[in-house]
Amino acid sequence: MITRRTTLSHNIVAFCRFLRENGMAIGPDEESTALQALGQVDLADRDAFWLALRTVLCRRVQDLEPFDRLFRQYWKELEKAVDSKIKDDPKKQRQKPKPGPDFNQLKSWLYGNKPSEETELTTYSVQENLSQKDFSVIAADDLAEVMQRIRELSLTMARRANRRYRKTSAARQFDLPQTLRKNLRRGGELLEVAYRRPRKNHLNVVILADVSQSMDLYSTFLIQFLYAFQTVYRRIETFVFSTSLHRITPALRNRPFAEALSELSDSVSGWGGGTRIGASLQQFADEYLNLVDRHTLVIILSDGWDTGDVDVLTESLTRIKQKARKIVWLNPLAGNPSFQPNVAGMQAALPLLDGFAPVHNVESLRALDAWL
Amino acid sequence: MPQHTRESIQTLLQAQGYQTDPQVVMSVFLAMQLRKPLLIEGPAGVGKTEIAKVMARALNTDLIRLQCYEGLDANHALYEWNYQRQLLHLKVLEVTGGQTTEIPSVEAIQAQEETLFSDKFLLKRPLLQAITHHRPPVLLIDEVDRADEEFESFLLEVLSDWQITIPEIGTIQATHIPYVVVTGNRVRELSEALRRRCLYLWIDYPDYDKELAIVLEKVPQIDSRLAKQISSFMQALRQLRLEKTPGIAETLDWATALAALHLDHLDKDLVEQTLGVILKDWKDVRHVQLSLSELYEKAGVISKWDTL
Repeated sequence: MITRRTTLSHNIVAFCRFLRENGMAIGPDEESTALQALGQVDLADRDAFWLALRTVLCRRVQDLEPFDRLFRQYWKELEKAVDSKIKDDPKKQRQKPKPGPDFNQLKSWLYGNKPSEETELTTYSVQENLSQKDFSVIAADDLAEVMQRIRELSLTMARRANRRYRKTSAARQFDLPQTLRKNLRRGGELLEVAYRRPRKNHLNVVILADVSQSMDLYSTFLIQFLYAFQTVYRRIETFVFSTSLHRITPALRNRPFAEALSELSDSVSGWGGGTRIGASLQQFADEYLNLVDRHTLVIILSDGWDTGDVDVLTESLTRIKQKARKIVWLNPLAGNPSFQPNVAGMQAALPLLDGFAPVHNVESLRALDAWL
Repeated sequence: MPQHTRESIQTLLQAQGYQTDPQVVMSVFLAMQLRKPLLIEGPAGVGKTEIAKVMARALNTDLIRLQCYEGLDANHALYEWNYQRQLLHLKVLEVTGGQTTEIPSVEAIQAQEETLFSDKFLLKRPLLQAITHHRPPVLLIDEVDRADEEFESFLLEVLSDWQITIPEIGTIQATHIPYVVVTGNRVRELSEALRRRCLYLWIDYPDYDKELAIVLEKVPQIDSRLAKQISSFMQALRQLRLEKTPGIAETLDWATALAALHLDHLDKDLVEQTLGVILKDWKDVRHVQLSLSELYEKAGVISKWDTL
């Protein structure tokens, strides 16, 4: 009996590790809860076993499908291993995910950015003009400097947006004048108390950033901006899209920028690929529309080179517009004086937007302040 | 407390008129056994709140409900001093004891203060109520995603320590740890920390069999063929992309309405006339009116009015 228990806990730990390697966030807490939970059910009952683990190890609806898949996969593999009398089954499981891509990704990223890091101290040139320079023509030498400026600007803006509406820790403050006025008719006896509270910021921000090939020259800067902004301003949800949409809010939180970026380009499929703005916005409207309400500012960062159906784009935008406070489209190409928004997607979207502005250099980012 | 098994919980839930499935039973069972909060998510109108209510009835205990909304703060969730009553109390003291002109002693003032900040003047709000209840209640924290993030972190603190500090009185320890059910509509993504603390249950729109069972259970006077047609019509209806997909509550309203009209089948004209019961958005109504024939076909009720 004791050996069976050890095998079970052993297997559960190995299974949790397997889930973790496949992208589910499972820590020691969940492992121990899982074991506790299994102590409560009849282990001979396959379904009970599965349901119990599902209850404990899944945390959101998006987890359910991958969990079921991985569950089946794991226990099938395990049975196979037991059948063929292969002993060291957890080890076998552990070999499954190849360390290859991760490692390579990191390596290439490290090499790719090396020049900018090396030259960090030698930026002396054209400092004044740097803020006006289009992101696409910034030399590798100036990269670090620009990044630094974006970071500072973003932090300042986020702090201001925060402060303007900051909720004070004392949520209820006594309002003396109002109280006296209210109670005058009772002969000045203070029976009814009036309170006041600081004006609250109801502005939520949802950002949809295009990270496709055509935006390649800009997206790194924009992500840097979003990243820094998010560290201060919490009422924000960030999504990136190319051919499909990904929510990256959690990925941007509580971790260094470099790490966040490399993980993103790793995990977001189609990063740097083609664009399907319409389909991506439709996906947003289908899955996340409940994040949008009349206090929500929706910001779309894209050049509008849509290879999808224009009708889908307008239909999705209309749906978002109905629920949102405002939709603002920021387009890096609009920075060019000769720019005409005659890309088909852009053309269709224009009438539905509350704002349309360029984001091609540091200066233009500053103009975003008007919307916050 | 009696020891629960999954079977006993299933019977309890069913006895309370709740149509359940194994996943729901397992989640409720584990939440009770492991004493962990249960986070329930799902679209509106699928009976998330109902689980807590049924749980309370099944455990034969009280349900304490904290409805979350934007701007909800700790005061509203924990306690408030009954200021008016305190003032009145002082006023009464003033009137009755007004004759004596001597200066009150320090002890007297202290005693006064103690009465002023005693239980009598304390308004217990749901969280304080829940932890000072005389038996473990079911604490329902409804639509937690409507509250601000700050409140969520505050909630986490209470849910892990099970104690509340009131400056004038001191720290109040939980007499019993309540069963906690947290529900969310995914209006805002909940923090990872809250999710980690909870067991998770996702409830989706019911499938045909479950919906039919619910209709028959809740609207017993309904004709069984009508119930079947309503259920399959609703199944088909949810496939359409609507602004506001109808939940079980709407199905039941509709079933009750049609049953009150003593119908035994879904009539096309009648459906058009009563769409307002299940659809709450004019664009949805129009959309459905346009695709009504298709819906009929999908729902398999076409034969009825075709042969007429």
